[in-house]
Amino acid sequence: MKSHNPNQSATPPAPPKWLDQWMEWCCAPHLREEVMGDLHERFHLRVSRLGERQARNLYWRDVLTYMRPSVLKRKPSPYSSPYLLSMTMLRNYFKIAFRNLWKSKGYAAINVVGLSVAFCICVFLFLTAYLQLTFDSFHADGERIFRTYFFTSDPEKNTKTNSMPLPLVPALKADFPELEAARIMTGRKSLIEVNGKYFDKLATMTDPDFFKIFSFPLLKGNRETALRDINSVVLSENMAKTAFGTQDPMGKIIFLGNDSDRKQYLVTGIAGNAPHNSTIQYDALIRIENAPGYQGSKDNWSNDSHSAFVKLPAHVSQAAFENRLKAFTKKYFPAQLKELTKKGAKPDALGDLFAVRLQQLSKVHFDREIAGSKGTPIAIVYILMGIGFFIMLIACMNFINLSIARSFTRAKEVGVRKSLGALKNQLFIQIWSESTLICFVSFGVGITLAYTLLPEFNARFDARLTLDYLLQPGFIALIFGLFLLVTLVAGGYPAWQMTRFNPVEVLKGKVSIKRPGILRNSLIVSQFSMSTLLACCTIIASQQVDFLRTRPLGFDKEQVISIPVGNQVNGRQTLGRLRNQLANDPSVLAVTGTDVNLGRGKDRVSSRSTIGFTYKGRAVESDWLLIDYDYFKTLNIKPTAGREFSRAYPSDSVNKVIITESMAKAMGETNPVGLLFGDDSDSSHTKSQIIGVVPDFHLYSVAEKSRPISMHLSSNAPIRYVFVRVAPSSLVQSMDRLKSVWKEVAPQSEFMGSFLNENIDAWYQNEEMLTRVLSLAASIAILLSCMGLFAVALMIIEQRTKEIGIRKVMGAGIPNLIIVLSQDFVKLVLISLAIAIPLAWFGMKSWLDNYSVRVEISVWVFVAVGFAAILIALATVSFQTIKAALVNPIKSLKSE
Amino acid sequence: MRRSDLGEFEEVVLLAVAALSPNAYSVMIAEELEQQTGRPVSTGGVHAALQRLEQKGYVASGLGEATAERGGRRKRLFTVTALGSRILTEVRSVRNNLWDKILPQTLRPSESFDTANPDIHLT
Repeated sequence: MKSHNPNQSATPPAPPKWLDQWMEWCCAPHLREEVMGDLHERFHLRVSRLGERQARNLYWRDVLTYMRPSVLKRKPSPYSSPYLLSMTMLRNYFKIAFRNLWKSKGYAAINVVGLSVAFCICVFLFLTAYLQLTFDSFHADGERIFRTYFFTSDPEKNTKTNSMPLPLVPALKADFPELEAARIMTGRKSLIEVNGKYFDKLATMTDPDFFKIFSFPLLKGNRETALRDINSVVLSENMAKTAFGTQDPMGKIIFLGNDSDRKQYLVTGIAGNAPHNSTIQYDALIRIENAPGYQGSKDNWSNDSHSAFVKLPAHVSQAAFENRLKAFTKKYFPAQLKELTKKGAKPDALGDLFAVRLQQLSKVHFDREIAGSKGTPIAIVYILMGIGFFIMLIACMNFINLSIARSFTRAKEVGVRKSLGALKNQLFIQIWSESTLICFVSFGVGITLAYTLLPEFNARFDARLTLDYLLQPGFIALIFGLFLLVTLVAGGYPAWQMTRFNPVEVLKGKVSIKRPGILRNSLIVSQFSMSTLLACCTIIASQQVDFLRTRPLGFDKEQVISIPVGNQVNGRQTLGRLRNQLANDPSVLAVTGTDVNLGRGKDRVSSRSTIGFTYKGRAVESDWLLIDYDYFKTLNIKPTAGREFSRAYPSDSVNKVIITESMAKAMGETNPVGLLFGDDSDSSHTKSQIIGVVPDFHLYSVAEKSRPISMHLSSNAPIRYVFVRVAPSSLVQSMDRLKSVWKEVAPQSEFMGSFLNENIDAWYQNEEMLTRVLSLAASIAILLSCMGLFAVALMIIEQRTKEIGIRKVMGAGIPNLIIVLSQDFVKLVLISLAIAIPLAWFGMKSWLDNYSVRVEISVWVFVAVGFAAILIALATVSFQTIKAALVNPIKSLKSE
Repeated sequence: MRRSDLGEFEEVVLLAVAALSPNAYSVMIAEELEQQTGRPVSTGGVHAALQRLEQKGYVASGLGEATAERGGRRKRLFTVTALGSRILTEVRSVRNNLWDKILPQTLRPSESFDTANPDIHLT
């Protein structure tokens, strides 16, 4: 016999052990002897014939051939199995369950409170996340709807913009007749007049294809013809209800537009309201041809003003269509291509210098790359879901921890039940359904909590959650899945553990789960890691918000009231009247107007207009801001060169600009006053002249990219905001006084004044929201973890009563005892700090990297959180430790 | 006719049980068949066939002695029952009748050599 294995002499060749074990486990017990014997005999025959290696190879093939029902199927037990759901047993289960819960009211309460708070928070967070994730998903054929964008392979920086010129969509429709395409221009709110009543509503301007692309329901009217005529208007259901009440609006006349743009429209349809989670919003839909200045720029390919959506035919893929658009680009954008070539641009990976490309509708909401869109960062959604899971996990861990710890006290019951003939399944179902009962109660309490706290949550987090969303099938599935998972994990694991108790040992009083501490400790460590992680994140995020808030803005935000003018009145006239009224008021220091609000006012509108041109060969770009006289006086900005706009120079109202220092720098001029401001190629005489330079100031949030600013005073542009600087002594009275004056000068318009510093705070709303969510999550996580720790401490100390008694008898002092009992917990907290702090540091560092101005992460944050965590843990267990240390040892040692 | 419930592999196994009697058990049968057919025959397949034959009443079984190679486990020995013998005889007579009807020129020797081994399908 040839031997392939040098070890053969020492040990006879044997088949692979794990295969043997697997086979032993699989094979029905009554067949085990003959089957295993056959396998081994054959193996030995093969070893002597073919060698060990081949025998092993063939062995597992042999094992596989045994994997058939006739071998796997167990012989039915000769004993009758007890009826699983007998009435008497069920009654007994319930009785025992209630007795158990009643006996341990404290634990049950901790479990119910913890789980229900966690459920409630999960409902809120998942609902928010669900709404975000299902953004724009309600359109039929949504995967065929795209938004167009321009890709420019600029040598300095590749850019993507979604602002389209007006002739683009008509050209697309002409060149690709199979395509459905619509322009969508959503601007500010417009004034709508119905039967002499005025409404400030969102009029969205679009093309007739709107209803072919999107599946907003049309309640009245015809999808094909609703927007056929230039003067048709489709109202939203809400709009129709507010304006017409119970009347039928179809065929009625309404007036829409401000001042000179005011036109008459005929109602031709009622559309369903756009859901909150829709990118496209409207109160009224009209044709884009009605946009102010449409005739002037309808053939202008370089005036980008709106976004465009297309719906591809069913069989055409995005890539295929983008390919076809290459020829289209060459045909319609020769100027851009030429200019880019002149600049030395290189084509990108797809071979384009300049291209019209498509972005899937579902990606629009989360888009942050294409300039001009302020998408919701999808990371935030995941963070919300993550926090929800964290909290749920902590509550589950409490549950598991408590159940396992409590299982020792129930071990005797399990032993008795087992020796009386209870099957594993029965025990499992009994214990598991007890936990399920608790879960179910907590679930109910959690949902009720969510229901009652919803308005509070909405107010605090500026959310628009309603309970209707709760009833959406997807969301119900999500929550129900969560519930199932919780009952399976939190209830199932301890139940499974308990059914494995050996009845003999248990009844002898020797309960042993191997090292039960490991699981318990790792659960406590993970709880505390999550809590400290969240706490660190909260502190750093709020530091960043404070930092952003206290950054110098370049102007004085105190004591200034900002009033949005609204669409009902003419801003310039109102400003004039207001000036006259307030001229002799000693508490009013300055009044001015502008078209961009500083901060976020009560109208919640923000807009940005930019101007860009080539100045002496340099490309410059700046914000383009309309201001009125006294703007700098109102905001306490001192010109560094030249002068500000003044009534003494009548010519200031045309072609004069004031620029900021960074603009001067961008233009490469050290002394720009008196120079002409405009594109090199512009040789007309209407070029503006620079008359002054002011220091830089932040027109937009510090978190956003700040640009240079150029300010002008054109008398034909509308003034949208009025700023009033009031004397420092009487801020509240000034607000009241302004309100009454406003009523006189602009009776149609609602007074929406607010202090500028409050508006500025609103800039940091997103960051603030994150801080608030984080702090809520952190406090709940800490609370839950402490509850868990409290219960575990109670349990451990109960188990160590005798030890404490003996220590006392041997002469241990109370402080000694407290240290002995607490040090285990402190160790656990230290481990969790070691896990959480690097994670927090890494996470917050990557978050802060999104900001151009940011705080440095300070070590002291972690030190403080660490100390706080240890203190909180000590305080939590101290109640128990002190109580245990004070007990008279006679009592603890006597108890048996 | 009961013969229809006797599969081809079962028939071969049943024959092997008869041939190896009184020392017929899975390993021996599998080895014997492997030798005879030149194809790998797994113990599992044989075991399953034996189980089926026993269910049908063609074979009877009892536990035999244990050996060292088997790790001290006993083997299950099979014997053909009276019913099994009758079935085997019936099968054989059907085959013989058919063989007798074949005209001598029908089977050409060179090809018949290749097809002499019936295809045994391992389940």
